Amino acid sequence: MQKDQRLLDLAALLLKAAEPVSWREIQEQFPEDYAGTGDAAIRKFERDKADLLELGIPVRYAAGDEDLPAGYLIDKDEFYLPDLRLAPEDLALLYVAGSAALAQGTFPYARDLAHALNKLSFAASAPGASETAALAARRLSAEDVEPPPAVVRWLEELSRAVAQRKRVHLRYKRAERPEERERDVDPYGLFQKGGAWYLAGYCHLRKDLRTFHLSRVVSLTVNPAAPRTPDFAVRPGFSLAALAAREPWEFQVHPPQSCRVRLDGPVSDEVLASFGPAKRVEEVAGGLVVELEATNAEGLLRHVLSLSGGAEILSPRPLRERAREVLSALSRGLS
Amino acid sequence: MTAPRSRPRPGPAPAAPSRADPRDRLRRVLFLVPYAVRHPGSPVKELARRCGCTEKELLEDLDFLLNVGSPPFAPDDFLDVYVEGDRVHVALHQSFSRPPRFTESEAAALAAAAQALGGEGRERAVKALRDSVPKDRRKSFDELSQRIYAGAPPAPDSVLGRLERAIAERRTVRLAYHSASRDAETDRVVHPYTLAQRFGHWYLYGHDRQRERPLAFRVDRIRGCQPLAERFEPPGEAEVGRMHLFSQASGEPVRIRIAPGATGWALARPGIRLVRRGEDGGAVVEVLAGEEWATRFALSLGGQAEVIAPAAARRHFAEQVKRTLSRYG
Repeated sequence: MQKDQRLLDLAALLLKAAEPVSWREIQEQFPEDYAGTGDAAIRKFERDKADLLELGIPVRYAAGDEDLPAGYLIDKDEFYLPDLRLAPEDLALLYVAGSAALAQGTFPYARDLAHALNKLSFAASAPGASETAALAARRLSAEDVEPPPAVVRWLEELSRAVAQRKRVHLRYKRAERPEERERDVDPYGLFQKGGAWYLAGYCHLRKDLRTFHLSRVVSLTVNPAAPRTPDFAVRPGFSLAALAAREPWEFQVHPPQSCRVRLDGPVSDEVLASFGPAKRVEEVAGGLVVELEATNAEGLLRHVLSLSGGAEILSPRPLRERAREVLSALSRGLS
Repeated sequence: MTAPRSRPRPGPAPAAPSRADPRDRLRRVLFLVPYAVRHPGSPVKELARRCGCTEKELLEDLDFLLNVGSPPFAPDDFLDVYVEGDRVHVALHQSFSRPPRFTESEAAALAAAAQALGGEGRERAVKALRDSVPKDRRKSFDELSQRIYAGAPPAPDSVLGRLERAIAERRTVRLAYHSASRDAETDRVVHPYTLAQRFGHWYLYGHDRQRERPLAFRVDRIRGCQPLAERFEPPGEAEVGRMHLFSQASGEPVRIRIAPGATGWALARPGIRLVRRGEDGGAVVEVLAGEEWATRFALSLGGQAEVIAPAAARRHFAEQVKRTLSRYG
């Protein structure tokens, strides 16, 4: 019998049964599938059980007692999706956030997210307003968005690799040079920054944590061996959020360097916040001076340049000099 | 219950498309059957849209379901889902009357999306999601939730929480909104329709009373949000179909030339459209976000990009370069 049919038959059998169903009985009902006395049949059944659990259907073994025989069962309470009992605004949050994320075309576990949104209509008693809002969120967030097909594929494969903790092999374009590097990476997680997705993981080439911009991945293979056995454990203390919150000038490129940036007043909250939380701010005549530690001064330079005339690198001297060179070169090209 | 399978199946089940994971079909039908039970007589087209598959796939799913049942496989032991006049009915659902609980990846994906939007409700929502994963999988849910990070919430919790409530309750809001073009705080009265995401930013989309049209407001520029007593009628499906996050007349696209070394970076940014690649590995790209944004973007590439067209945008870029350079004189 085909596997998908067998799984559903098995679920139907256990859902209907009034009491636990013994292994012998299951074997009798599925003679083509679980026949024989050896371990092979049991292992096949165990794999099916695991597949059912992955679909959200928990099959449990109950040891017998005076009242009930020993066997397998599905607890109805553990099977059916319960009502989430959420306040309308919390439901709106789930609907709108999920729909907007899905509509972008690039989100990890996108297929799971689509299933989750579908199921949500069963998990709430009155989703009316939220469903309308979700429809609008989906339309607006999808408008003019053409997700790069490669990134969609990498996200899908990496989602699985992250969940199953399987090592991946990457070919990766370098940022500044037109060459590619191959690396083995233990995928720790996926994060989004500025609308783009990154893989964070342990790089076996660099022997350290690294992040990879998914649109620069050229090819990717997930270790196909033993899909249910993890290849690695995530290092203790790893925080995806901390890594995602890192500013470009905090990437580990050189030893820490203290840098000062002048911002002309009035400085908007948005501009000030763009320098991250780890900064000292000093008020000076006509504006502010921001002081921070950079381990990638080039990243800071680019950020300051992007603020154009309203911001200026004060120190260190070589960085200030570099800003002048970059702008002079641009200016020469323009005249 | 001990009688062996006594009745031959109605026929061989149609095979799932060869490339598809059989679990995809199972997940689909585990939603499809309860949905059809709850909405009897749904059109095939509507059901296919709901399930995210084609009508052909849906009809194949229905054929497949005819073969699903449980021992002793008497006629009443099979699922009975049928199509009559293009509408789907369920005669026997065999206990598949509600979908199964969330899998850990379904719940974790939804939780990650909720975390990135935020609002006071997010802790409650994530907890409710966790509780609706089977007990055995909750640890996996906790683990997986730490492995997806879709971004930091865009505004103070109080603003978002109020916006979410107002959307759910169809309640008008008064916003204190920082307008970037005027660099000033403005007072707006808005019917909040929904929130949407574009290029890494969250927007509130709603009908602005003074301006008499729907507009997008960047959520991180909303400084305050007061719900008012007045309720509004939500937009109908046709109106939703006509919605645009930004007005169409956002001007001519701005073209930027990128040096070979920065092309990878530049094209990785959302909202950047490739016009052509140069032979040297460089590129010309287009952005629709206006000359101000284009100048900032080009400068952020550290000297490896310049705005080339239209003439006014190039002038703006040149002025900014000159003005900034004068600070380093």
